[in-house]
Amino acid sequence: MIEVKEVSLRYRDGTLALNNINLTVGDNELVYITGPSGSGKTSLLKLIMGMEYPTSGTVKVMGHEMKEEKSEELRNLRKKIGPVFQELKLVHGRSAMENVMMGIRFLDFSRQEIRRNSADALEKVGLSHKADSMVENLSWGEAQRVSIARAIARKPRLILADEPTGNLDHDNAVNILNILASFRQKDTSVIIATHATHLIEDQKNITIVRMNQGNISVEKRGGEE
Amino acid sequence: MKNFIANLGYFFKEARRIIFSNKLSNFFTFSGTVLILLIFASVVAGWSVSSRLVGMLEEEAEISAFFDENLDEKEVFALAEDLSKLDGVRNARVVDESEAYKRMQEILADDAGILELFEHNPFKAYIEIRIDPGRTESIIETVKGFKEIEYVRDNKSVLKSINDIIRGIKTFGTLIIFAVGITTIIIISHMIRQGIYNNRDQIRTLRFLGAPRTFIGFPFICVGLFMTVAAGILTSLVMLILIHKVYQIMGGSIPFIPLPPVADLSLGVIIVIMGVSIVLGLTGSLFGLSSIKDHQ
Repeated sequence: MIEVKEVSLRYRDGTLALNNINLTVGDNELVYITGPSGSGKTSLLKLIMGMEYPTSGTVKVMGHEMKEEKSEELRNLRKKIGPVFQELKLVHGRSAMENVMMGIRFLDFSRQEIRRNSADALEKVGLSHKADSMVENLSWGEAQRVSIARAIARKPRLILADEPTGNLDHDNAVNILNILASFRQKDTSVIIATHATHLIEDQKNITIVRMNQGNISVEKRGGEE
Repeated sequence: MKNFIANLGYFFKEARRIIFSNKLSNFFTFSGTVLILLIFASVVAGWSVSSRLVGMLEEEAEISAFFDENLDEKEVFALAEDLSKLDGVRNARVVDESEAYKRMQEILADDAGILELFEHNPFKAYIEIRIDPGRTESIIETVKGFKEIEYVRDNKSVLKSINDIIRGIKTFGTLIIFAVGITTIIIISHMIRQGIYNNRDQIRTLRFLGAPRTFIGFPFICVGLFMTVAAGILTSLVMLILIHKVYQIMGGSIPFIPLPPVADLSLGVIIVIMGVSIVLGLTGSLFGLSSIKDHQ
């Protein structure tokens, strides 16, 4: 599903965010990208999302090489990804339901499917009762779950979540990770970037990508979840 | 297409939200557009009336041929018959002294009493020749060549003066149309740019989610269209009232100006205004969208 080959990323101000990294993610994988702040977790997710492009090396997602000039391909690829942004990127002045619907309106769904998928997604994250609430009136944890609902309503092949547990207490953080992990399916992979390593210590059958100053080490942890 | 239709309600709702998210600024945009379209509509109405006036004057193009007074009635009618056969002449008929007198009475209307000061009818009989306006010069020369004709009177100079005025109106109108077009496009595109700026976070999010340009841009095109079409409707209503008022005033005080039927003029102006509103709304929106896309 994802192939990152000898990738380096240097920002315009000269900061080296990723240093010649390699990573392969297959179907049905649950991947945690961990590391301290500034270790390159978000940069790696941005490369996979096509929000940034590598300075050197190649990034292939679902067979598509991420290049700036392939904007039409990139747009189609993004339709298959369910992103959960660190800063949520919900649209204020709209309800939770409207935010979820907005994320899937341009996909190949009928009007009924748009509404049904959105309602189902909100139910899965336990927010059906807040469907008509304005997102600015929700707590951070609830808003986080709306963001997840928007991602999963798209029926994506890849879910990318950037620090979904940030600003949450322990119980809410565990709850969010469990919700995200539950969407790992036969042809759907889930990648979660988090610095809260204590929350995944006991998890099995996962891949852990540890990042530090732009370098990575990969641990495949087998066994029952 | 299925997707587009399924989202029509969303597009309109978004457009409404964009308009109302910046009420004061968009109110001024709307008011400015109405004022600009009013100027445009006035020029269109003036153009329409003046074009009709010229058309009618050209249709009425005629010359008056005054003949030798010693000719008897039979010779005069024979002369009129000969003149009517000339190339470019539509018809020629004799206007005798009494008809000439009556015509002047009609023209003078309330002031016709002045004619009673004359002891005898001061008007001479003549032959009224209706001609093809494009061949005025050559026909006048031919008619002058008849030995029975003493002199010819034509309305060439009047037509030329009116044509000059019309040319001036058309030049002025063209300038106004250009000014209206450019100004409206700039106003609308600026409003769209403002809307895009206000919604830049939402647009960016939609892009990251893979939304196509048409999906992101269509609500903004709706905004431009709504604004100009609404401005067009208000302008049309104001113009309807204005046209009726002007007809009441001009119909009473300047009866000799051949105004087109009020319904025809009103319908024509409304069609032009609404058509121009739609075109300018679309153009302004697309211009606004295209000029900002690289910065998003």
